[in-house]
Amino acid sequence: MRRCKNMLRKNRKTGRLKIADWRVSSLLFLLLLTGLAACNGRESAWPRIQQEGVLRVGLDPTYPPFEVDTGGELSGLDVDLAQAMGADLGLDVAFSYFGYDGLYDALATEQVDVLLSALVIDPARREDFAYSEPYFNAGQILIVRQGETAVTSMTDLANRTLAVELGAQSHVEALEWSRKLAGLTVQPYTTPEEALTAVLQGEADAALVDGINGRLFLRDNPGLTYTANPVTVEPYALVVRIEDSELLDHLNDSLARLQSSGELDAIIAKWLGE
Amino acid sequence: MTRPAYKSGLRLFTLALILTFLRPAPLLVTPGPPQTVVTQHPILGTHTRLTDEVEEWKIKRSLELVREMGAPWIVEFFPWAYYAAEDGSYAWGHPDMVVAHAAAQGLQVVARLGLTPEWARPPDTPLTYLDESAYDDFAAYAAAFADRYRGRVSAVIVGNEPNLSYEWGYRPTSPADYVALLKEVYTAVKAANPDMQVLAGALAPTLEPEGSPWGLNDLAYLQGMYDAGAAGYFDGLAVHAYGLTFPPEAEPGPDILNFRRVELVRQVMVDNSDADKDIYITETGWNDHPRWTLAVRPAQRIQYTLDALQYAETHWPFVKMVAIWAFRFPAPQKSYMDYYTLVTPEFVKKPIYEALQEYAQEK
Repeated sequence: MRRCKNMLRKNRKTGRLKIADWRVSSLLFLLLLTGLAACNGRESAWPRIQQEGVLRVGLDPTYPPFEVDTGGELSGLDVDLAQAMGADLGLDVAFSYFGYDGLYDALATEQVDVLLSALVIDPARREDFAYSEPYFNAGQILIVRQGETAVTSMTDLANRTLAVELGAQSHVEALEWSRKLAGLTVQPYTTPEEALTAVLQGEADAALVDGINGRLFLRDNPGLTYTANPVTVEPYALVVRIEDSELLDHLNDSLARLQSSGELDAIIAKWLGE
Repeated sequence: MTRPAYKSGLRLFTLALILTFLRPAPLLVTPGPPQTVVTQHPILGTHTRLTDEVEEWKIKRSLELVREMGAPWIVEFFPWAYYAAEDGSYAWGHPDMVVAHAAAQGLQVVARLGLTPEWARPPDTPLTYLDESAYDDFAAYAAAFADRYRGRVSAVIVGNEPNLSYEWGYRPTSPADYVALLKEVYTAVKAANPDMQVLAGALAPTLEPEGSPWGLNDLAYLQGMYDAGAAGYFDGLAVHAYGLTFPPEAEPGPDILNFRRVELVRQVMVDNSDADKDIYITETGWNDHPRWTLAVRPAQRIQYTLDALQYAETHWPFVKMVAIWAFRFPAPQKSYMDYYTLVTPEFVKKPIYEALQEYAQEK
């Protein structure tokens, strides 16, 4: 790192660059960026992963249906996805457990190669970490009775009743909408299940719930469906250290293959329903 | 052909000049006329986090919302490390702003003081490291603070969770060392402003046994404080009382961390003939993060919070204030901490805010 700082200092010291010569300065800037990137002191993990044939995956196994350890047996959507990606890349997968708030530290300290633990893309962390393409959207979804044609989005809810879970993010979101939509009644219920039951029983026209609770309820309760476009976006993605762009490329390629083969959708459907 | 460099420079200068004049004038924010908190529950408070809030209008808006919620108390953090220079001078600009706006909203302020400046601690030690060589410097800061905010700040808390090693500079916790600090601070503050209440603590609820690298059980720590002669050097005790996954009325026990652990803390005070002092609950609350294992559902969080306030008012005459952690953060924390707040960084009121507001107006 000290070498990198010296490079910076030298470039500043020369002071001979003509400001107007954008081509030269742009080239130097690019070279500087490349130099800085090479000087982060860490090697790409991909050659080691290939050599050892093992992808080390970190997760917090307390979040069903994405990852949960029941009596020493790990299962869940993320677990299946990691195994599928491992198989696709010709790698074994070794899971390590961490507390939710310790996941990024575990990755930064190279205890694992990748995090796959229902993590939402966080722009504030992009300086140190890189995210894969999203594999699931856990944002708020609008759920209506099957066959409902009048309500296809939030804007159709004027003069209608929207059920939400009291105090949840969907409640906050619904209150925001109620300030914009005339006649929208926001009806809070103690749990997401009660809010969804209210739709099923005709007490409410729609329910706004998170994509996980909503889909789990739909899986077990026919008669409801969700509208085409999610109301909010909360994308889950895999996370790697910022210098592991090579690993990230392989993970993204693998995700794309699982997507196009239908395997990703099948894994999601297995845990959350169609 | 190369354009002379000075011409480009001149253009850039001209552009910068134009942009400077085009930039709107900074927003003028004043505390405004004095307001009064209207509430049926004067015990209600909240821990604001304005320390890192730079924009004055946001400080004002936060405190307006606290008043509108019906909470007459705030707890706020005023870090020594932020304001004190080695030459003994202080940069009071930001704390002046916070205290002025709080006073304008009619709020009582409990000020948490802590974090050691780099010049007052050995090299390579964390901000929470404070040893006896700097106790007098910290006491001088506390005294200067107490003097400056006479009549506008009700109480100061000496440090934060000293029974956790993380908060004690990653050293083994020591009630005797903390009491030595307390004595210096208490004496200095009272000399500067006898009306300022000096609160010890705030003790963190923890079950860590003697010798643990993480901290020391709050009940044992408090007894250790009394053994070291703390009784004459604090006016009230600050306590953190988190409910975690338990409802507020859940029975307390020496091996359980829940809201009513406050009663066990109180018993230690009674056992040490210190029953006349008030307890200030400077942090409490439930969390509704969907993933944190110590969280509850959002509806439970609302109900538990309201029930906790009612419980404290009905059963704990020795509790002066119950401050909900945390009112709002200046920016998202992107962790379970966001799920303790009452208002989002964008000032959107969460349903728990509305529930507390309604509660504050009910008899």
